[in-house]
Amino acid sequence: MGNIFTLAISAIFINNFVLTRFLGLCPYIGVSKKLDQALGMGMAVIFVMSMASTITWMIHNYLLIPFDLVYLQTIAFILTIATLVQFVEMVIQKMAPSLYKSLGVFLPLITTNCAVLGVSIININESLTFIESILHGIFAGIGFTVVLIIMAGLRERLDKSPVPESMKDLPISFILAGCMALAFLGFAGFNI
Amino acid sequence: MSLIKELTKGFIKENPVFIMALGLCPALAVSNSIENAIGMGGAATFVLLCSNILISLLKNFIPPKIRIPCYIVVIASFVTIVDMTMNAYLPDLHRNLGIFIPLIVVNCVILGRAEAFASRNSVLKSIFDGIGMGIGFTIALVAVAFFRELLGAGQLMGIQIFPNNYQPILVAILAPGAFLTLGLLMGLINLFKKPETD
Amino acid sequence: MTYYIKLGVILFMIAAIASGVLAFVNNFTKPIIEENQRQMEIEARRTVLPQAKTFEYVEDNLPYYRGYDEEGQLVGYTFMAVGAGYSGDIQTMVGLTADYKIFSISVLIQTETPGLGANCTRPEFTNQFSGKEVDELYIDVDSGDIDNITGATITARALTNSVKKASDIIIEQTKDLSDNTKHDYSKDKETV
Repeated sequence: MGNIFTLAISAIFINNFVLTRFLGLCPYIGVSKKLDQALGMGMAVIFVMSMASTITWMIHNYLLIPFDLVYLQTIAFILTIATLVQFVEMVIQKMAPSLYKSLGVFLPLITTNCAVLGVSIININESLTFIESILHGIFAGIGFTVVLIIMAGLRERLDKSPVPESMKDLPISFILAGCMALAFLGFAGFNI
Repeated sequence: MSLIKELTKGFIKENPVFIMALGLCPALAVSNSIENAIGMGGAATFVLLCSNILISLLKNFIPPKIRIPCYIVVIASFVTIVDMTMNAYLPDLHRNLGIFIPLIVVNCVILGRAEAFASRNSVLKSIFDGIGMGIGFTIALVAVAFFRELLGAGQLMGIQIFPNNYQPILVAILAPGAFLTLGLLMGLINLFKKPETD
Repeated sequence: MTYYIKLGVILFMIAAIASGVLAFVNNFTKPIIEENQRQMEIEARRTVLPQAKTFEYVEDNLPYYRGYDEEGQLVGYTFMAVGAGYSGDIQTMVGLTADYKIFSISVLIQTETPGLGANCTRPEFTNQFSGKEVDELYIDVDSGDIDNITGATITARALTNSVKKASDIIIEQTKDLSDNTKHDYSKDKETV
């Protein structure tokens, strides 16, 4: 149990995917203008990341290693993720049309979200077990969602603030992200 | 003439990082030293050039319905080739760039150019576009890395620039410094792009 | 229907060609990568224990090498110490003399922040280990006398602790009877 707690704190705060590992920045900057959009994107990412962690772990350990094809890792993983995203999109569309309405637009974007491929590769690099990989996928997704939502909340307020013309929109968002990263840096010394 | 334009548009005017905000992850993650920035820029430029050429050649052969998976396979193959070659001949750089080499696959700059340019233009144009965008990407990385390495470590390319008693601004080389530097550089470019708004 | 089969065939063809090319490149680069790795370790073993002329591999919980000089006398041990630094594992080759003092260390693999943690490879830091007893291995923050790296306490502590931990294991592993007799035997020869 303690192990799960450690993994959660580590994936959400200490090694936050966006602010510490620099993964998934495109959606972090691109989909953080509105709070409800950020929430939708976050949910979709948590779902896809946990699925991707599960399936890529199995592909790596039951297909690539036994057949000595580890050099095909990148191709195999990215194709798996692309297929998975497509599949999830179809299933959600059929089974839960209302969910599809809120998540649908974000799903295709997730294929090129490097956090998803990133979590799959990190699971393998750090030789996590099957269960740890799934949990790591979920927690990393939660970590992504947390900072995405904070960012969206900040940017909604930013609309009403007097920002210098040349710093509007993207530049000020990066400064904001820098301040958040500074805050998250405080977690770096944690030893658990 | 138009070829030169395809080449140079990526440098500043349509710079993939500063203007289009693509390929942000590597731009921030490996810009902690100029050496890493050049290595990453070179690797991405190579993949971009090769994938642009191949996709432009295959544009009539690939059915539009499955074009994205095909592009991904092409890009992932070149990325894996770069990954293996770099591991064999430049092991130190390979270790420093780490996970960001396989992640070139999902670098939006490359898939973006394949979809928006190479699949619609001739091979020659795609070559120039690929080189130009690659150089633009590298310029952005090196620009961010220049400030981070100079302020955060007092060095450039590992050579001490500031005197030894210079107290480095540590934050510049850590994660927050990446965001702050990129944000300020973007603001600076905006400032010069439209001075009339001042 | 035939249209979809055609799509499948084209995608399959592209994937097959890609795998073929990658298999070819992999065949070509794999031996070089392995050779590099081997050379690096041989090189590091010679630097951390230069008085040894031949090395003998010993399989144990923590595998290590015994180093012998020209006359076949045991002069020390070399082994890898691995510790989790600020951004990934730090792997250090350690040279331990036969009377359990650190001879020298060499940081082989690290991905720490350039200009900060990455300074752990510099001689100003690594030279401090030479001649230390294993029990003395603490950084100044932990009231030892190994000077910290400015701004990179996590790196310095992780590296120092990993060297100490690995050395303790090696001392435990080499303390057994067979090693002692070998050691005494060589001492006898010295006095003769």
